[in-house]
Amino acid sequence: MTEKPWSDFELYVITASSNHPGKDLVEVMEQTLIGGADILQLRNKTGPWESVLQEAAALRELTRRYGVPFIVNDYVDIAIQVDADGVHIGQDDMPIAEARRLLGPGKLIGVSTHNLEQALKAERDGADYIGVGPVYPTDTKPGRAAVTTSYVTEAAEHIRIPFVAIGGITLDNADLVLEAGARRLCAVSAIVGSEDPADACRSFLEKIGRCKAIERNAVTTIKLNGEKHQTSAGNLEELVRELGQGHKRIVAELNGVIVSKGMWADTAIQSGVDIELIQFVGGG
Amino acid sequence: MLASYDTAVLRLGGRELRSRFFLGTGRFPSPAVMQQALDASGVEVITFAVRRVDLDSYEDDSILQHLEERGLHFLPNTSGASTAEEAVRIARLAREAGLGNWIKIEISGSPVTLLPDPIETLKATELLAKEGFVALPYTSDDPILCKRLEEAGAAAVMPGASPIGTGLGLLNPYNLGLIIEEAKVPVIVDAGIGSPKDAAEAMELGASAILANTPVAKAKDPVRMARAFAMAIEAGRLAYEAGRIPKKRYASASSDPAGSLFRHPAMSSTGEGY
Repeated sequence: MTEKPWSDFELYVITASSNHPGKDLVEVMEQTLIGGADILQLRNKTGPWESVLQEAAALRELTRRYGVPFIVNDYVDIAIQVDADGVHIGQDDMPIAEARRLLGPGKLIGVSTHNLEQALKAERDGADYIGVGPVYPTDTKPGRAAVTTSYVTEAAEHIRIPFVAIGGITLDNADLVLEAGARRLCAVSAIVGSEDPADACRSFLEKIGRCKAIERNAVTTIKLNGEKHQTSAGNLEELVRELGQGHKRIVAELNGVIVSKGMWADTAIQSGVDIELIQFVGGG
Repeated sequence: MLASYDTAVLRLGGRELRSRFFLGTGRFPSPAVMQQALDASGVEVITFAVRRVDLDSYEDDSILQHLEERGLHFLPNTSGASTAEEAVRIARLAREAGLGNWIKIEISGSPVTLLPDPIETLKATELLAKEGFVALPYTSDDPILCKRLEEAGAAAVMPGASPIGTGLGLLNPYNLGLIIEEAKVPVIVDAGIGSPKDAAEAMELGASAILANTPVAKAKDPVRMARAFAMAIEAGRLAYEAGRIPKKRYASASSDPAGSLFRHPAMSSTGEGY
């Protein structure tokens, strides 16, 4: 069901029922999936085992419908029982090797890390991804010192497996975390505690998308229909789509040479190129 | 019951056209009115212009939006060009859109009169004909220039009756007559037609077809006017094929004077003029 490899995830959401009193857990989490969250973790450190199992079963069913990987925090047994895609463990929980033995090779193991040393160890020990945080102080994990964005930058430089920045990340500071080198974000209260979790997810994803676009191609300045224009599009097809003109019957010219539509995707846009997009209008 | 007569088909650019009316698509009050005018006119060839995409508008204002299912033949023009090079560039862009290889070469030499630049038009005609376009140059009504355009490979010549959009009608029927007499390719009278009467006049002179836009699109009722033009063009063509009488200085009675009940000295002449 999952359409893209799990490791391509960009927005990691974690449950926190205390952030949405009066709202149903599954309903709130469904909103995050509608908003585009592409990996979901059940974290319930206070409830009795039976209710965690119940929540896990419901969220497993939900995430399967949306084709999104489902991770259970701590409870390896529950993860196995509901056929979750993996578990997430902290520094004080069972060793990675032990979790791997219980889960088998096909499942994901994520590990919370608070410094580069822990991160490198988790990577060596076979973690599939790591959490990097808490980047900012957070009520979700009170009392833990924030690691700041400098650890995010270290992780970006040294860690090869996917890492997700977590802890106190909101729409107000997400850009700083992305600038520090994160390409995957996890937010808890900023999403499930929001009035509109789907909209919050879309806003986070938009920030990540913009950051990736800039990274991929920097912003290019071109001449478009005689005017200076800035674009993050990498090729002609992306440019036309970015301009919201993809539905029109358009002919494109690049530096005076016509580019047939079939070639648009293969036509890179470099700084300074002169592009004309033309169409037909009434005339005699 | 009115009998209908088929006029000869017009062969142009490898096509056989039943309608000798080419309609421009500019300046109609709305796309819906244009659609109705197309229905009323029975045209098979429509013209349009090539412009930069309006990047601020999401709406698809392309003129072709609702036209492609009609099976019409598209004749893009090179309006906006002031040199042969610019016209060639526009022609290539239009061809790239996949709408065929016809091109109306329109190279304006003056923003006031919009009269065609003869030198650049001739150059563009030669270049585009060599590139395999069905080159249809809009030209001034100069018989020698029209001959040169024909020699350069024009599939038809399109002399203007008067400047674009003026509605002044045939300013120089003498020249148009000469062009038609000399031409080995179809002569399509383009621009300056004001009303169906002008269209009929040009057709009677022997024009192969009429291209009009403004007198239809800007009429009070474009749909009715489209129909009126279609009828006038057909009437003019029929009249041309039927052969008009020569013009005479003096009257000639429709009935033979022989057997007249009264005898007047003046009636004894032959009735023929000078």
